[in-house]
Amino acid sequence: MNLELGYIKIKDIKFADKAEVKNGVLSVSKKDLEKIILEDENFTAVDFDIAKPGESVRITPVKDVIEPRCKVSGGGDIFPGVVSKVHTVGTGRTHVLSGMAVVTTGAIVGFQEGIIDMSGVGADYTPFSKTLNLCINFTPKKGLHTHTYEESLRKAGLKVAYHLGKLGKDVKPDEIKSYEYLPMMQSAKKYPNLPRVGYVQMLQSQGLLHDTYVYGVDMKQSLTTMISPLEIFDGAILSGNCVSACDKNTTYHHQNNPVIEDLFEQHGKTINFCAMIITNENVFLADKIRSSDWTAKIVSHLDLDGVIISQEGFGNPDTDLIMNCKKVEGVGVKTVIITDEYAGREGTSQSLADADPAADAVVTGGNANQVITLPKLDKVIGTLDYTDKIAGGFKGSLNKKDGTITVEIQAITGATNELGFNKLSAR
Amino acid sequence: MSATKKLRVVHYINQFYAGIGGEEKADHKPEIREGVVGPGVALKAVFGNDAEITHTVICGDGYFNENLETAKKELISMIKGANPDLFVAGPAFNAGRYGVACGTICDLVQKELGIATVSGMYRENPGVDMYKKDVYIIETNNSAVDMKNAAPKMAKLGLKLARKEEIGASIEEGYLPGMSRINFFDYARGSKRAVDMLLKKLAGQPFVTEYPMPDFDRVEPGKPIKDMKKATIALVTSGGIVPKGNPDHIESSSASKYGEYDIKGVNDLTEKTHETAHGGYDPLYANQDSDRVLPVDVLRDLEKEGKIGKLHNLFYTTTGNGTSIKNSREFAAEFAQKLVAAKVDAVILTST
Amino acid sequence: MKFILTNNPLVKTKLGNSIKIEFCDVSLHQILLLTRDYIHKGYKLLSHPLSGSIKPNETLYKSIMLDANIEKLDMQSLSIIENSIMLAKNFADRDIKIMQQHKDDMMTVDLSIISGRL
Repeated sequence: MNLELGYIKIKDIKFADKAEVKNGVLSVSKKDLEKIILEDENFTAVDFDIAKPGESVRITPVKDVIEPRCKVSGGGDIFPGVVSKVHTVGTGRTHVLSGMAVVTTGAIVGFQEGIIDMSGVGADYTPFSKTLNLCINFTPKKGLHTHTYEESLRKAGLKVAYHLGKLGKDVKPDEIKSYEYLPMMQSAKKYPNLPRVGYVQMLQSQGLLHDTYVYGVDMKQSLTTMISPLEIFDGAILSGNCVSACDKNTTYHHQNNPVIEDLFEQHGKTINFCAMIITNENVFLADKIRSSDWTAKIVSHLDLDGVIISQEGFGNPDTDLIMNCKKVEGVGVKTVIITDEYAGREGTSQSLADADPAADAVVTGGNANQVITLPKLDKVIGTLDYTDKIAGGFKGSLNKKDGTITVEIQAITGATNELGFNKLSAR
Repeated sequence: MSATKKLRVVHYINQFYAGIGGEEKADHKPEIREGVVGPGVALKAVFGNDAEITHTVICGDGYFNENLETAKKELISMIKGANPDLFVAGPAFNAGRYGVACGTICDLVQKELGIATVSGMYRENPGVDMYKKDVYIIETNNSAVDMKNAAPKMAKLGLKLARKEEIGASIEEGYLPGMSRINFFDYARGSKRAVDMLLKKLAGQPFVTEYPMPDFDRVEPGKPIKDMKKATIALVTSGGIVPKGNPDHIESSSASKYGEYDIKGVNDLTEKTHETAHGGYDPLYANQDSDRVLPVDVLRDLEKEGKIGKLHNLFYTTTGNGTSIKNSREFAAEFAQKLVAAKVDAVILTST
Repeated sequence: MKFILTNNPLVKTKLGNSIKIEFCDVSLHQILLLTRDYIHKGYKLLSHPLSGSIKPNETLYKSIMLDANIEKLDMQSLSIIENSIMLAKNFADRDIKIMQQHKDDMMTVDLSIISGRL
């Protein structure tokens, strides 16, 4: 299987009557989008806003971040099983509106979290301060049930990104990247002297606001399984995870999974990147044992030499991470794991809820309990009502006198991402 | 910062680096000299106008370790008298006793005098494991040749500590990990770092984990007792239970000794006979009835009921409160031999 | 026999007919400590004590599924609960008042997480 990603660099976004991508400028028709969104009767109104890098703007609370993409050739369509029909993706050509994102905001629950600052010190901690963001704020029907609201909001964001992605279908990309992912035996023949490397991605799967969907399937109901990394570039994995802003994977993180990108960077040179495995992070210990057993079984069956294991979330998944690591090392396969830490505000406490000597190669996204003071910014997209309620916030987080916000960095969207999206680390 | 005042520094070295002599002079008693001695020259060069080494304190490694309590007192009083803003010890490189002395004295200076300290050691120096969580120890190579690399790092971090400036992550400042976890922006994103680490691991090359797992000091459990009715059971505690008045002055924290006490004919520990020396928990309940920590009464009952052979007539005790792992290991290694010699079959170890 | 140790009234109402509920009107931290007590007595963890990404100083509610009648101390359960208690302590007290609406949301999320297996 081969996939070409054509990146169309978006340099500006503006509202206009006619939707199009021209000379790197995305024109958005509010009317078109409103129509798409309000098809869902669960919403009574919707607002749009644009936030640009460097502006004095704060976006909060953030639900999801999504990159518009579109299938130009090859089977299936973007976001299969949710927005488009279930059909295997990951081949042919896909166009990406790059340098921008759709950011959905709205308080599904009263403690909805996630801050994106477009400037100031907070901007250093979130990757979405560097993207042009089309922000959508939804007004739900009164009395809407939490489950229903989450689902409507999740799908609305995806539909908007899908629709915008289509505008890039006939545009000539600024850059094209080609990826090769071969069947097992072929890749072994082609690269007989390179170590066989796989990627084990753990997906959040604990329940309401903690779910991930693969081709529309709720991952907590799946056994550990295999997928092509190229399918993920086409939106086969979607985020339904709304909690723990700093280390949840937004849909954008999945679409641009950095572990996949960096393994491909070495593919054919120093390694043969030949397998990707997805597993879950269920709360029941029997599920954890079964899923990690299966991870080790598959890794062993594929005769891999090494794997990278990435985690998502806090607490409960530490146990899955360590089980996966221990069992994979147990079948003689070398591991590197990616996690983040909750070592307390002083950074002196134990960082994870589990530990094992087998985990001797760890990459960390940093200590999420680190306290940071964010400056007052001129404009807020969304609301600051929840600032002291969110994870990482506390009484007096929002300084009423000078407008600054003192929070732990866990409040910032993507700050300690466990796919290794950022340069942030801790020692 | 143009008008910052020149900081006063006291430098600690052993008899060897002071040029007094090697092992044959290891019993050299503590002394203080004005100005720079030995490796202090390298530090002086890098301190420049920011700080001045006003005094050098010298102590023999043997003397320090064999006369710990006296040496600590003598050294603290000398250091206090010199009134420093910063205390620098070593670097000790791979010299074990020297490293332990550097760590011990830095820890003490911080705690008792409230003065910033920095040391330097090779990562396998036993002083590292003992003090990496309490003292900033710059990582050095295993030989004194590394002084030229160590001195600037020790000086830079020392100045920052003395001026109470923000300290960066261990990898940025060059100290050994063990103090608090500090965030920083690394050379590449995490996924790239993971791939780099995996490549090294696959190639069998050395790599450094970004998060060392907590230390696992696992001890194989002993063989089960076949017949409890015939077994001699001893009591050992880190809960600090001592005869009333704490006759051996076991410290309330960071204990340097353990006690061995006779309980022949004692059926019950009472408010009148025993108490706790431990300073790390509310002593009220232990002082009211020390059986709560060291269950002599219950074991006497079991002895009477014939469920155990007998209770050993000596118990061993110390305070686990901040006591170093090194000391704890040494205590146990010593009294374990006594327990074996006394044909004790099993020990009940209580903690608090 | 399986049961849920919880301080979440919604779990009691919604799941009371399908599984035994041990309801305790105590804090989240106390639920963790009570769980440890059960494990000391020979019970076994069926669900992870730090389920959900909502931080232990953020949500008020916690439901943990346990199983009784095992003969000896379950070391894995003990290790998980001890580590969970330790990690939960890393979150400073936030000293904030929580509105009823937010409490309802927290109960709903906790219910969803613990009912995944029922």
